[in-house]
Order: sequence, then structure tokens, then C-alpha cells
Amino acid sequence: MIGRFFTPQMSALLRKELLEAWRDRRALWMAIGFSLLFPVLLAGSTIFLVKKHTEEITRLALLGGDRVPLLAQRLRGDNLEVEVLSEREPRELIADGYDLVLQLAEGFVEDYESFRAPRVYLYVDSSSAAAGRAERHLQERLGALQQLVVSQRLTARGVTPQLLAPWRLQVRDVSTPSSRGAMVLAMVPGLLILTLFVASLATSVDTSAGERERLSLETLLLQPLPGWQLIAAKTLAVASMGWLGALLAIAALVALMPVMPLAELGIQQATTLSGVVTMGLLLLPLALLVAVVQILLALRSQSFKDAQTQLSILQLAPVTLLMALDMSRMELSRPFWQLVPLVGQQQWLKALLVGDPVALPLVLAGSLVCLLLVALCVALGARALRRESLLNAE
Amino acid sequence: MITVESVGKQFAGREVLRDLSFTVADGRITALLGANGAGKTTCLRIVTGLLRADCGRVQLGGVDVAKQPLAARRQLGVVGDREGLYERLTVAEYLSLFARMQGLAGADLERALRSVREQLELDDLWRRRTRGFSQGERMKVSLARALVHRPRHLILDEPTRGLDVLAARLLRRTLLRLRDRGTSILFSSHVMPEVAELSDRVLVMAGGRIVGDGSPEALIQRTGCANLEDSFVALAYGGATGKQVAEVSA
Repeated sequence: MIGRFFTPQMSALLRKELLEAWRDRRALWMAIGFSLLFPVLLAGSTIFLVKKHTEEITRLALLGGDRVPLLAQRLRGDNLEVEVLSEREPRELIADGYDLVLQLAEGFVEDYESFRAPRVYLYVDSSSAAAGRAERHLQERLGALQQLVVSQRLTARGVTPQLLAPWRLQVRDVSTPSSRGAMVLAMVPGLLILTLFVASLATSVDTSAGERERLSLETLLLQPLPGWQLIAAKTLAVASMGWLGALLAIAALVALMPVMPLAELGIQQATTLSGVVTMGLLLLPLALLVAVVQILLALRSQSFKDAQTQLSILQLAPVTLLMALDMSRMELSRPFWQLVPLVGQQQWLKALLVGDPVALPLVLAGSLVCLLLVALCVALGARALRRESLLNAE
Repeated sequence: MITVESVGKQFAGREVLRDLSFTVADGRITALLGANGAGKTTCLRIVTGLLRADCGRVQLGGVDVAKQPLAARRQLGVVGDREGLYERLTVAEYLSLFARMQGLAGADLERALRSVREQLELDDLWRRRTRGFSQGERMKVSLARALVHRPRHLILDEPTRGLDVLAARLLRRTLLRLRDRGTSILFSSHVMPEVAELSDRVLVMAGGRIVGDGSPEALIQRTGCANLEDSFVALAYGGATGKQVAEVSA
């Protein structure tokens, strides 16, 4: 079987296609660039978000705080800087770089001591990106302090604070490190699949519409090789580029995981070496399918530019489809869905990324479906090569 | 021998070839002359199997091109009109890969590569990638690719277009040597002195049909013109008398 496929003539053709593909620097840099870009962006954004969440300091100006030094003392915390200031215009203080200004009303101390709930004004610039976080931060601190004061007042009057609290809510997180990881890494499978499309795009256009436009396709069609071998060789060359991109992206992602603050998010890095190898292997049939579909579309296009446009649109299709399926809340882990190309790979990648097992029979069946579609597309491609319009003959 | 029998071809209802029949004998050079749009390139593409004829049959050495395309392509060398090379391959890689696709290997492959390298004077180009080659250099590489497997039949579409004097001379020398070796050669051209010098036989096409067939001298004699160019104009554009056309077509 393999001997029939890899005849010496086919090997020569495949070598030609691979040399052409891998010496195309533009295509190679595009594949490498995108493959490294998304893991770096993902790692960078995670680090940035966590850093922002945990390390960002809220600056609070407390106007009139000199009359209640205990309040300033109680509000101060790890990420909340409180500066007690005498009378100033709150807008000016916000313009000077304070996130919030808390102003105590005139007569605050007297009203507080006589239990008359004195007014406190919070000035915030809601058009600022940091305002919401700063406000939440302060509200949490004030809420806790308020609760403490209420408890103390009730206790001083012989009333148990529990009377004002009919129940006590305690939140218990039942998520596991892997399920939290799945949520954070949810977009990774879609991006890996997108990498296959982007990394192989330039090569697929060059080897099909490009060859036709450069008038070298005719020379190839005149060789004593069946059409399916031409398409198969081109598919393998294009898929090699897409697959390289996906492997590079997986390697970069796994290499960057130790520097990502996964522990701060409660996620345990669970991707194993065998998981990485499995991810690479299960993307191979999909790389072949993506390559042959791109070649078919490019062969149908009117020109090189037309092919580029069509394939650029096509590369958005998988991510859109996978997002739509995710949002539709369909039960994608069912066996049927794992036989559907793209969806199957997405589900397996999701599981492997967080260290969950995948069902080998389903992976094999899904990959076989993918390969059958590749064979069908190769046959369609061989038919397309017989179209006279391909030679601009009509 | 190349045999074309009653071939017809239409594109979108427009008849391009009509009942076209001719043969190209082994060891002979046959030129296909015709105005633009006469159907020369379509004819050559049908002979090579790139296009399918609507009716009729083409045989290369007794092999039906439509029924056994792979067998036909093994005995065929083709140099197309303005064909593209693979610019990321060196000449050595390019020729080696196409020779392998034609089934050559081992010592036969080495011998074939050495032979075309010498015959077509490719030493200076051998290790260079084909990007930026001149028209003459491109033609030499294309011709080497078409000849590397020593085909029995050679088809060339406007082979001297854009060539400088030296490249055109090398091409002519090569074609004459191949003819002496028994290769049947069919080429299309607009260059009359070249056709007159090279061809053993000239086929004049007009409106998808053969309107003139014979040696250059015979065509000149039959049309009563002073040279091959005038004879071609008379036959292809209707300048000849009805009697003359009937004679040469007979």
C-alpha cells in the first residue's frame, strides 16, 4: 500500500513540493511568527491580568480624616494607600493621580458619636480604567469596617450580633485545578487550530494558484503521474508547514506555562510530555485536511489574489464555528461530536491541556474520519486538475 | 510518430479546431504556422494531453493520449509558451527532480543529467536557483527538462520567442541533433526564417483547420510566392487563389 503511494516518481514530486514550500521564506516566517505570537500573547495577558489584580495599589485621599485617625488606620491595607489631607477640591486630587477621594462631612465625629449616620462622600472618575477596581476595593474595606462597628455597638448594648444576621453565607468552590485550567485555557484549542490554517495559508496558495499563475502547473501536469499524486504531494507539503506551526505553538505554550501565574489562579500545570506528543499527533490528520481544503479552494479561485482573499476568510471559519458551538451549550463531549473534524480535536486538546485523559478509541475513530475526508478531497482535487479552465484555456 | 485524426474542439460554443488531421513522422521537424487565434496552442495542448478533444483521436507512438495519458507522457517532452520554472530550486535540482518523475534513477539519471548539461551548455547555471534568469537561460533550462528523459516526441510552443541570437542558435542546433537521432519534433512559430531553416514540413493553420501542408519549398512553389512568409500570408489570410489553396490542401 505504502509502496504504491511512495513510488520513486511520487517521492521526487514530494521532494520538489517540500523544497519549494520550505524555501519560501515569506511563508516560513508567517508560520513561525503566528505560531509564536499567540502563546506569547496568552502568557503575557495572563501575567498582566494577575499582576494587575494582585499588585495594583489603590490611592485614596481621605479629606477630613485628621478628625478620625482610626478610620484612616483601619482602611489602610496591602493594596490601599490612604493619605489624610486637609480641605482640597476632590476633582483636583483625582486629576493629581488619586484613584478615589473620600470626604467626610462636616460634623462627622459628632454625628458618629450620637449614632446619626454621618454622610461620607466618595468621589470617583468613572471614565478611568482603574476606577471600578478601586471603588470595589474600598467598598470591601468599608463594608468590613462597618460590619465591625455594628457588631461592637450591638454587643455593647447586650444584643448578640447574630440577631441581625439570620444566616451566614459561606462560599465553597467545588472547581478542581483542571476545571479552572479548562476555563482559563479554553481559547487555546481554537487558537491551535487557527494556527494550522494561518501557518499553511501562504504555502497552499503558492503551490496551487501560484503555480498556475507562474505557468509551472502545466509542466507538472505533463509528467507521468496521476492527478491524485500531485494533490497528495502538495497536501503533504502544505500540511508540513501547518503542522510545524501548530507544534511550535504547543511547544511555546508549554515552555511558557512555568512563567505564567497559573498557581495564583488556582490552576495546576498538568500538561505532561506524553500529552504534548499526543496533541501534536492528533493535530496531524487535521493539518492534512486543512491543507487539502485550502488547495481545493485555491485551485477554484480566479487568481493568486482571489485565492488569498478566499483563504483568509476561510481561516476565520473554524474559530467562529467552535465559538458558536461553545456558546450554543451543546454537549460537545458526546461521542458523536468527537467524530466531527475540528470539534473532536478541540475537545481532545481541551482535555490534554489540563491533564485529563482522552478516549483512545474515539481519538482513533475521529482521526480516521478526518483522513477519509482527506482522501475524498484528494480525489476531488485530482478531478479539479482535469478542468480546462485551470489552464486558462477557455 | 504523432498522429492527429479528425480532432475538433470548441470553447464556449466557439469552434477552435475543425476536423484537424495530420501526422508528424519520426526523425522529422514539423512546424505549425498560424496567425494568432488560429488554434496552434490548442492543437499542441491536445497533442500533449493537457486538453481533451471533443472528437477525434491523438496518438503518440501508437499510444492514445486520451486513453493512456501516463504512457503517452513518458514518451513526450514539452516546452511550453512562457512556461514558469521553480525559482526556489537550482537547475541541478530542477532537472534531477523532473528526470526522477519520468522514472530515471541511479546511473541512468546521472548520465541523462550529464548529457543535457553538456548539450545545452548549462555549466554556469547548474548550481544557481532559477530566479532572475534571462529568457534565453530559462529556455535552455526548459529545453533541458523536456529532453532529460530522451523523449521520442518533442513539442515546442513558440520556442524562440524572446531569445537572443546565441540562445536561438543553440536551440536550432539541438533540434537538428534530435531530429538526426530520430525524435519527431512539432513546434509552433511566427519566425519565418527559422521555420524555413529548420522544418522538414510546414503545417499552415487558419480558422482551426490545416490550410497548407508541405515542405517550405513545396509551399513556396505551390502558392507561386517569392518566400515562405508570402506563402503563409497567402494561405492563412486568403491571399492565395482558390486553386492554389485547393492544391496545397490536397
